Amino acid sequence: MKWNLIKTKVLAALAACLVVGVGGILVLMHYSFARNSQALAVESVTGAQKLFTILEAREISKMTAVSDTLAVNQEVRDAFAARDRSRLIELTAPLYTELKSEGITNWMFHTPEPDMAVFLRLHNVAKFGDHLKRPMDEAVVRTHAMVAGNQMAKAGFAVRILRPFYDSRGGLSGYVEFGEEIGHFIQEMKSQTGDDYALLLSKKFVDRQSWAESNALWKRRDNWNDSPNLVLADKTTATDNIIQFQQELATLPGEGKVLECFHDGDSVFVRGIFPIRDTAGNTVGAMFVVRDISSYYLAMRHTQNVLVLVTVVALTLGIFLVLTLLNRLVFRRLEHIIMVATRVVGGDYETEIRVDSDDEVGQFEKLFEQFRCVFVDLMAHVPELQEK
Amino acid sequence: MSQLYDLRLLIESKIKADGLDAMKVKGQIGLRSGRVLALISPSTPDDPTAVSKLKQAVKEVLQIDA
Repeated sequence: MKWNLIKTKVLAALAACLVVGVGGILVLMHYSFARNSQALAVESVTGAQKLFTILEAREISKMTAVSDTLAVNQEVRDAFAARDRSRLIELTAPLYTELKSEGITNWMFHTPEPDMAVFLRLHNVAKFGDHLKRPMDEAVVRTHAMVAGNQMAKAGFAVRILRPFYDSRGGLSGYVEFGEEIGHFIQEMKSQTGDDYALLLSKKFVDRQSWAESNALWKRRDNWNDSPNLVLADKTTATDNIIQFQQELATLPGEGKVLECFHDGDSVFVRGIFPIRDTAGNTVGAMFVVRDISSYYLAMRHTQNVLVLVTVVALTLGIFLVLTLLNRLVFRRLEHIIMVATRVVGGDYETEIRVDSDDEVGQFEKLFEQFRCVFVDLMAHVPELQEK
Repeated sequence: MSQLYDLRLLIESKIKADGLDAMKVKGQIGLRSGRVLALISPSTPDDPTAVSKLKQAVKEVLQIDA
């Protein structure tokens, strides 16, 4: 390849255009993917937070309706007022079985202040008489109105309502509480969005002993030592590989944050996290959101491949057309002029340059043909040649 | 005869022997050496520069040492 030729230089310039074009597409697609995956991650976090709030409100509404019905049940009111635990179990146990199938896992009766001890746990009837002393207990005693929200227990986190319970004469006989484990939430969230979720709890708000007992009861692995500050309460994924977060929960903004986009095998994920607060406003946990964007990634890669292919084909065709045109309009005609000039010097005075166009090369062809005629005429008058 | 004319004869004999395009080859040598071969006659006076240029052109075009 001769680099002094215009043809080579044009070819190199067009090849450079091809490389720049393909490179530009790759950079553009990468940038586009990064932006869109960030938008998807933000949407995942905000969407999950909204969905969590909606589910929380729905469950609070459900538990409120159940407690309203219970509050007007004369037999239950009398049994609780009489502190007849056996009768209370007899009356409420069948209903608890039904409620459990609807997701309400916790049901408790508390004695009134100042003692405020657990009188009956429908979900663990053998355990009673203990004092929980949670922020929501203090709130309901202070207001004597229903308190609802997320509340950490010693070994778990649940959406709860706690409301005063009155006897048939209108006197306060204690409090009734319903609760729903958040693990139920994340399964429902997954079924609605397809995303994966994990509930992380701050160890500061979880009792180590109760956590171990809870895991033993539910035959789960005790994962307390997996992380220094957080403990994984529940998750929708089979493995913990894609759930990684070691920061301080208190630093999380209220609207949550996007953590990163990452690859796991052939799959591509984005993940984010949003804080979960209890009724006292403490950031006691966080919901981890993981969205599989592999299908989007594959679609982007497909688009990228098509764009690269189209660009390569288009530019290759362009290179072919430009070189063909240059060859026909310039290079072949210049080669003809060179050939004629050479032959004229060699003694061929018959070969002419035919001028078919008045373009730039045509103007040069015309000038050169005029020059050739002058040269031929001059040679015709040279004495040595005339003698021959 | 001059050295230049000897070179002209050498070129013509080589062209004839190899069956080359006479006009093209003479033209190439003429352009390279700056001399029109048809104008070199036995009486053309030798000029060392012209002889040297013509020999160089012959070497480049016909690949022979004149």
